Amino acid sequence: MSWLLRGSLALLPLLFLAAMVAAPLTRLLWEGGSAFNPALLHDDYLQWRLLWSLLQALISCLLCQLIGLPLAWTLARYDFPGRGLLLRLLLLPFVMPTLVAGLGVLALFGPHGVAGINLQDTPWLLLYGNLFYNLPLLVRAGVDGLSQVPASRLLVARTLGATPWRTFWRVEWPVVRPWLASALCLIFLYCFAGFGLALLLGGQRYATVEVEIYSLVAYELNLADAGALALLALAVGALAAGGYALIERRLVKDSRPGPTLCQRPQGWPQWLQLAATLLLLALFAAAPLLAIVLRALQADAASWQALWDGEVLAAIGNTLQFSGAAVLLALALGLAHGIAAARWWWLRALSFLPFMVSPVMLAFGLLLLYPQYGASLWLLVAAYALLAYPFVAKAVAGALASLSPTLPAAARTLGATRWRAFWRVSLPLIRPALRRGLAFAAATAVGEFAVTLFLSRPEWTTLTTLIYQRLGRPGAANLEQALLLTCLLLAFALLAFLIIEWPEKNRAAD
Amino acid sequence: MLQIDGLTLAFRQRRVLEAVSLQVAAGETLALLGPSGAGKSSLLAVLAGLQRPQGGSVRLNGRDLLTLPPEQRQLAMMFQDHALFPHLDAAANVAFGLIERGTPRREARQQAEAMLAAVGLADRGRAACHTLSGGERQRVALARALVCRPQLLLLDEPFSSLDTDLKQQLLADVAQHLAGLQVPALLVTHDRHEAFTLAQRVAILQHGRIVQQGTPAQILARPASSWVARFVGFHNVFEQYAIPPQAFVLGAAQPQRAIVAVAPQADGWQVTVAGDGAPWQLLLSARELAGGPPPQPGGKLAVGLRPEELLRWPLEAGTMPAHQDQQG
Repeated sequence: MSWLLRGSLALLPLLFLAAMVAAPLTRLLWEGGSAFNPALLHDDYLQWRLLWSLLQALISCLLCQLIGLPLAWTLARYDFPGRGLLLRLLLLPFVMPTLVAGLGVLALFGPHGVAGINLQDTPWLLLYGNLFYNLPLLVRAGVDGLSQVPASRLLVARTLGATPWRTFWRVEWPVVRPWLASALCLIFLYCFAGFGLALLLGGQRYATVEVEIYSLVAYELNLADAGALALLALAVGALAAGGYALIERRLVKDSRPGPTLCQRPQGWPQWLQLAATLLLLALFAAAPLLAIVLRALQADAASWQALWDGEVLAAIGNTLQFSGAAVLLALALGLAHGIAAARWWWLRALSFLPFMVSPVMLAFGLLLLYPQYGASLWLLVAAYALLAYPFVAKAVAGALASLSPTLPAAARTLGATRWRAFWRVSLPLIRPALRRGLAFAAATAVGEFAVTLFLSRPEWTTLTTLIYQRLGRPGAANLEQALLLTCLLLAFALLAFLIIEWPEKNRAAD
Repeated sequence: MLQIDGLTLAFRQRRVLEAVSLQVAAGETLALLGPSGAGKSSLLAVLAGLQRPQGGSVRLNGRDLLTLPPEQRQLAMMFQDHALFPHLDAAANVAFGLIERGTPRREARQQAEAMLAAVGLADRGRAACHTLSGGERQRVALARALVCRPQLLLLDEPFSSLDTDLKQQLLADVAQHLAGLQVPALLVTHDRHEAFTLAQRVAILQHGRIVQQGTPAQILARPASSWVARFVGFHNVFEQYAIPPQAFVLGAAQPQRAIVAVAPQADGWQVTVAGDGAPWQLLLSARELAGGPPPQPGGKLAVGLRPEELLRWPLEAGTMPAHQDQQG
């Protein structure tokens, strides 16, 4: 593809990113920098907020690493029925809205929780929520990393006299280390910049900087302090994102590492190890979802009937409309970005930008930059599309990069124009990836919470903001309503997951 | 007729093709023979329009090809990896070009099935590409190239992924189809056997330059350099000459030479003897030994040379020993 064509395709997403990320963040930095008051840092309350934000992210990373690595090793090396399904299920948190996770944790360990232990107003609630989201990410990265070590290499180490333990340290650990490091950078970023979980689970004492910024903007209208905090939070986030980008580029991905070691467990200690692994995964990754379903099943018929009122239907309608518009926009942006980025690595790296910036910062920056559009539906839809389209772009760019270049070339020599070759050859071949990217995008838009809270108006209540409203109202009935609505969100996330993971008609041999 | 003049191609600083000129007549097959990295596939990519050259001209039957986009050049190319479209079945692959050139779908499908039958895949039209064997994929690629009645056929190492038996059979089949087509064909290969079997003329490419072209017999009779001699398969190649098998004379009248190494072959023994200043390799056929004892390392063999049979070439610049100038 010519430089000119690629460049003009890249222009659309580049302009969009400039208007929706670069400009609002610059505005936010300027706001924070110009009003920066060092006295702010001596405030005990804010000191604790910053410290706790860092601390909970670091502790989450540490816990993920300690619990996740043995789990990853067991899943990578032991084969058992349903292993493939389980490995795919580890992707489920990516499509799970924060509200589902947050309410799931509350349903389990909150007041009147399924587990019978009330952890509200302790730090454990937030840490557990962080683990629910991020432990699967680390396990997945660990399994991927360990799959890069071929069985022959392990066998050589053993024949050279290394015990299994020494083999791990000297052969597997060096390979898997960068994979874990890149995952840990992301986990730190997600925990530090996460908003929804901290809002729902942190309570008064254990909320994070992001929640503080939100309440400064939304309730106290104190933009100066909010801007200064945002500046600090962005600086920390940028460090983690930079670390991730550095490590990610150096990851060695050998497409054909040879057969890996993955056997049925032999003897009861190994079966025990596997059982413990599955139990831990269930405890951290499945229990909150099960708790929601359990609570929903316990609800009486009256609560289900109460769902059928105008407010709920309007919220569902809004969610579908906004998400539909956002997904269409994401399709256009993602295709343009993905096609242009198939050969330009820097453009591909740019598509990670919306993942790296916290939604709260984005929404705050957008509000500062475009005050006149604060009540515009287009700004909300554009913000949804911004958060959703990188999934499409990533999928398209990846699929195109792995497409053999001789296929479109063959189509050209057979008389197809550039456009016809794309339409008849490249597009059908990237369609599965495109479908997966769109499902991710749809799940992101439907579950979006932080930006909606900032930019939405009362008459645009979506499913997520409605759940949050119901949670804020007193009474067990409202909590029950919130849980039932969350069940709807959960069902939608599962649907998106099914679309993503539905097996393609077999053409594996190509 | 295909006429290539002074074609030059460079990637950044590296020169890939340097002033390549070739002619291929209608009905003729020219093999472009060279080691990997010599620029063979790049030349095909330029002809197909997938690569833009820095200089030179390409004319096909008087038409200037370089100004046309690939889809208007009316040529067909067979790729090394076959480049079958994995989302289409065999017949749809063959029909692809027909549909692009405006044939109605139903008719294109019929023509594709007929072409598949012509290459020996009569009832495989509905087969998905990944279920086809290597040879079958090859035939589908051939059918896809031929069905559009191209004015030029480009073959980019199309046999390199096949094992030897299959290759022989396909070479014969392709030769037959080429003969019936009456268009110029350009075969790129690094396999001299393939080139000499399929092509009427061979051009040898080294570092982006054509170093020799001619019929296989001409090239074997007078290789242009020591590099060419080695590349086309001579064993005893030295700086200024090569010893072809017919230059060796056996018999009691010849000087006795020590046998250095012996390797048994299907049709005799590969024997290395201490020649004049360098080891010589020669094949002793079972017939020549006439039931005598097999040669042994450490034994003796009576071998001489017929100097008039030696292959000589003009000394290449740069291979001349530097000190000769000072002595002169």
